[in-house]
Amino acid sequence: MKDIAAAAGSLVAGLAAGRATLVWRTDGKGVATGWCVLTDPADLAPLAEGLAALPARLSAITAFGADKAKKTPGFRVAYHFDLDGDTLTVTVPVPEGGSVASLTPWFANADWPEREMAELYAIAIDGHPDPRRLFVDEQLGAAVFDQYIPFSAMVNAATTKGLWEQVIARGKERAKE
Amino acid sequence: MSSYRIPVGPLHVALEEPMYFKVDVSGETVTAVEIVAGHAHRGIEYLVAKRNIHQNLVLTERVCSLCSNSHPFTYCMALEQIAGIVLPERAEYLRVIADEIKRIASNLFNVAITAHLVGFDTLFMQVMELREIMQDTKESIFGNRMDLGANRIGGVRYDLDADGRDYLAAQLRHVARELLEIRKIYEGDASFLRRTRGVGVLPAADAARLGLVGPVARASGIAADVRIKAPYAAYDRLAVEMQTGEDGDVWSRTLVRLREAGTAIAIIDQCLKDMPGGPVSIPSIPDIPAGEAIAKSEAPRGELIYYLRTDGSDKPERLKWRVPSFNNWSALPVMLKGARIADIALIVGSIDPCVSCTER
Repeated sequence: MKDIAAAAGSLVAGLAAGRATLVWRTDGKGVATGWCVLTDPADLAPLAEGLAALPARLSAITAFGADKAKKTPGFRVAYHFDLDGDTLTVTVPVPEGGSVASLTPWFANADWPEREMAELYAIAIDGHPDPRRLFVDEQLGAAVFDQYIPFSAMVNAATTKGLWEQVIARGKERAKE
Repeated sequence: MSSYRIPVGPLHVALEEPMYFKVDVSGETVTAVEIVAGHAHRGIEYLVAKRNIHQNLVLTERVCSLCSNSHPFTYCMALEQIAGIVLPERAEYLRVIADEIKRIASNLFNVAITAHLVGFDTLFMQVMELREIMQDTKESIFGNRMDLGANRIGGVRYDLDADGRDYLAAQLRHVARELLEIRKIYEGDASFLRRTRGVGVLPAADAARLGLVGPVARASGIAADVRIKAPYAAYDRLAVEMQTGEDGDVWSRTLVRLREAGTAIAIIDQCLKDMPGGPVSIPSIPDIPAGEAIAKSEAPRGELIYYLRTDGSDKPERLKWRVPSFNNWSALPVMLKGARIADIALIVGSIDPCVSCTER
């Protein structure tokens, strides 16, 4: 693990007990990935400020539903920070209709990923300097990633099943050969 | 001096893909730029959640044509981490070879376009002719000129026998010779230098502040390359020379890409020399358990990061990727401020932007 990754781990350890968990994994090449889960989104901004000072680089932001089957409402947002090659992922829960703090005060490149997250999941970003749509037109409703759209309706075609039946049949023929 | 706003794009003769720039100018000088995206958004991140892990291997390869191999490569690495799959050593080298072949072709395409944008069309044609050697090489080895179909979960779908290795080595020798000649032109031709040196300057502090990646960041002096900082596949056993520039201008970015094409040839040479025998993939794919993983690679335009969550089913719970171009667009307001209107297309092209990747 790189020194800067260890320093990031110390920042997480500095949060009050029970407010964060952190697990590190190291792959066969010696590259470490840290998995931090915050229980309260309010801890995100101070942690981000500390990571920026290390200095970590914000690599990406991923939002996703708390539950694929949507039995549990709400979302999670995962922030992926680069630590000189190692990666720390900080995940925070966001309730349905909730918001998270913008990281733009410390990471200028949070601008576009936060706008994208807002348009795909209708997650409000507190303090974003330019909270307009990024890619998706205003005419389309909010939270397009959170809507159920049948695949056949989306692609307006019905060839997929037939194509994969051919692939499977070909695989069986090859296995016989 | 009068100030006004001019539109560049979204469809513009000098832009390869659609992007809309609202450019504020004072006389002939750019004062500010607003970027409006969304003209090529295809919802691929939604699609991948509806398809199984094998279908997504095909789909991710079609996110972008120039870095098409980087996507399934990185996607496979994320999946393999979750499943605990360890690749045969030969497969790791073959993955590197496929990716570096794509890097050479991608970088040559951009430096050729740069020549075209400064009006040096004989150089453009010379570089595209050189790139054609790489296109032929891809077609001969993989059967395709753009989408290689080289990756599979747990290995690769191609192999190089003795004839294949000799053919690839001979093609690379040819490219290496021509590359030296072309570099002399890019490094020393007075007309090319006049149009590119000191143009579209990105200071190192801005590159760091904006979290930029790849040749755009390295040309401003940021020494970051995923192959070195976070080695994957066979890169931990290969010598990878970090290519950086100092000036942060169009010329530096062009030179970094040209030098990285040379580095890619050196890497493939090492692979051909060191690659052990053995299988090119694992015999069968285990069940993919629930889990999450991060995988990163150095695509031709810089760091590509994939985040994958699985839930034990055959479809991803969430598959997200951030391409290098997504980050690098933010460099343009810095590079374009104070530039001449005539240099807008040249500066935009110098970040080697990929809209297909950015918008997915």
